[in-house]
Amino acid sequence: MNKTFPRLFFTLCLAFTALQPVLAADAKLIVAMMPKAKGNAYFLSCKAGADKAAKELGVELLFDGPTDSNAAKQNEIVENWITLGVDVIAVAAENKEGISTALRKAQKQGIKVVAYDADALPDARSFFVNQATPQGIGYTLMDEAARLCGEEGEFAIITASLTAANQREWQKHIEARLAEKYPKMKLVAVRPSDDLKDKAQSESTALMSANPNLKLLMAICSPGVPGAAEAVKQAGKIGKVKVIGLGLPNENKRYVHEGVTDSVVLWNTGDLGYLAIYAGVALAKDELKPGATSFKAGALGTFEIKGDNIMLGKPFIFNKANIDQFDF
Amino acid sequence: MAALGIVLLGLAIFAPAFFQPQPLLSLVTREAPTLIVACGMALVIITRQIDISVGSQFSVCSVCAGLLAARGWPLALVLPVSVTAGALLGALNGVLVAGLRLPSIVVTLATMVTLRQGLNLVRQGEFVNLPDNFQWFGLSQSAGQWTLVLTALLFLAGLGLALRHLAAGRWVYAVGTDAEAARLAGLRPQLITFAVFVFLGALTGLAAIMNLVQSPQVQPMVGAGLELKVIAAVVVGGVAISGGRGNLWGGFAGLLLLTCVSPALTHLHIEAYWEKAIQGAIILLAVVADGLRQKRLNR
Repeated sequence: MNKTFPRLFFTLCLAFTALQPVLAADAKLIVAMMPKAKGNAYFLSCKAGADKAAKELGVELLFDGPTDSNAAKQNEIVENWITLGVDVIAVAAENKEGISTALRKAQKQGIKVVAYDADALPDARSFFVNQATPQGIGYTLMDEAARLCGEEGEFAIITASLTAANQREWQKHIEARLAEKYPKMKLVAVRPSDDLKDKAQSESTALMSANPNLKLLMAICSPGVPGAAEAVKQAGKIGKVKVIGLGLPNENKRYVHEGVTDSVVLWNTGDLGYLAIYAGVALAKDELKPGATSFKAGALGTFEIKGDNIMLGKPFIFNKANIDQFDF
Repeated sequence: MAALGIVLLGLAIFAPAFFQPQPLLSLVTREAPTLIVACGMALVIITRQIDISVGSQFSVCSVCAGLLAARGWPLALVLPVSVTAGALLGALNGVLVAGLRLPSIVVTLATMVTLRQGLNLVRQGEFVNLPDNFQWFGLSQSAGQWTLVLTALLFLAGLGLALRHLAAGRWVYAVGTDAEAARLAGLRPQLITFAVFVFLGALTGLAAIMNLVQSPQVQPMVGAGLELKVIAAVVVGGVAISGGRGNLWGGFAGLLLLTCVSPALTHLHIEAYWEKAIQGAIILLAVVADGLRQKRLNR
């Protein structure tokens, strides 16, 4: 008796707490959003866009995730959300297979699931909000390089390693775009940096002295961009050798403001979060169904859907004018 | 040494641009911290031990120092903290190797992985931004670069002479040649081994600062691969992996030789695929040459 009572009481309390938001919200949809890691600035900037979408749509947004990148913890949180009876789950999967069992269970309970940033298995979610394609990234980098060089001159690529699959994929599209559109530009070298900023710097230093006509360094791994920028700065070649790359705003702000780095290419993380929430809510309201080929998300307009991937579209270019609006 | 001479001569003929003063100074400055760590590593290898956790120690020291600097601590305080942190990490290895007599390759493999993953967990790869006055000690760029290079060279010369002429230097060789004989001669091999690990740790902390002042931000995985670089440099420089033999000048030459490979390929417009293969071949040649020499000595 003494044992059962507290337990019963506790269960009731728990049930009440769980139901409360549902009761209080009065048919207001609850959207749960999970990052790979809660404190990570990248995901916080996704959340900023998600908050905006939630406000526009009049839904309640729960934002929770592991404090570090922890696949098991993600499952735990999804289980809790199922108990809580949320309407939509938007998830960035730390481990594709790991999270999918829990997500399938959620779908069986009638919860709509979308993945964003990092996909789950296709049968564990309705749509994946795809932030960028290798082709989009490769083409944007090459177009930006050509624009800065006036479509002619020598440039070099700093990559992570010569064998990394995603880097090779980007490089393939960069070279395809180069061959197709910019006959007067020449790729003189591709150097690996092992994903180390300092090695990227040494490589860039050597590239500049070995290729006196070099007009631009393009880094296609995130530590490579500040590494190349520091090399250009130390060589006193600011403006003479331009730097662009695929990277994170915070790592590059300093160099962008000093005029060393011209453009940093990535996607708009706020838009990514915004689109993920819009897609999840549309699913829950039955406005978005499998097989759709386009989708309209509030202020951002219409997005293309390829199969079950909602495409965020062209990558975003961070430069002097806008980089301070982003904090990740 | 001869190999280094040939490579430099080859470069002078085929790629004179390699010797432009400014890029060359940048290149050498980047390797100044590596040289400091290589000096410590040479001592550890001479005592017939190895420490493959230096890269992780380097990262930990860099991030700790970076975070303190970002909080506004001056260099005069950050430097001793970094050196102490390195010495403590070295002491941990030292206690396990010398105190518990565990094989150093296993101990330092464990500390390497633990420290690296711990750092990943804490920082999630996020860069540490340093205050503006930190780079180059607040001096001009070339003054800062020369300070670092001269510090490293003076240190090399000082330690090289000490190793040769001071009693403590001879002890290190004695322990590496034959620990039992050293013990019978009245030395305390375990204590010397411990001290050598602590010394390497402290030097790694110093090197972390020498690297820190070269750029305005710290990447948490900054030390990745450093262990391979310094061990290779030391071995190529003729320090016997079996202990007891070799000196710092050789390690210096080995480091220069291995460092030249990558920029040399860039200057000769050779594909980067060759870089690691050539570095590997240099190490292999050095080890084979050492093996042959050993065999001849034994005969």
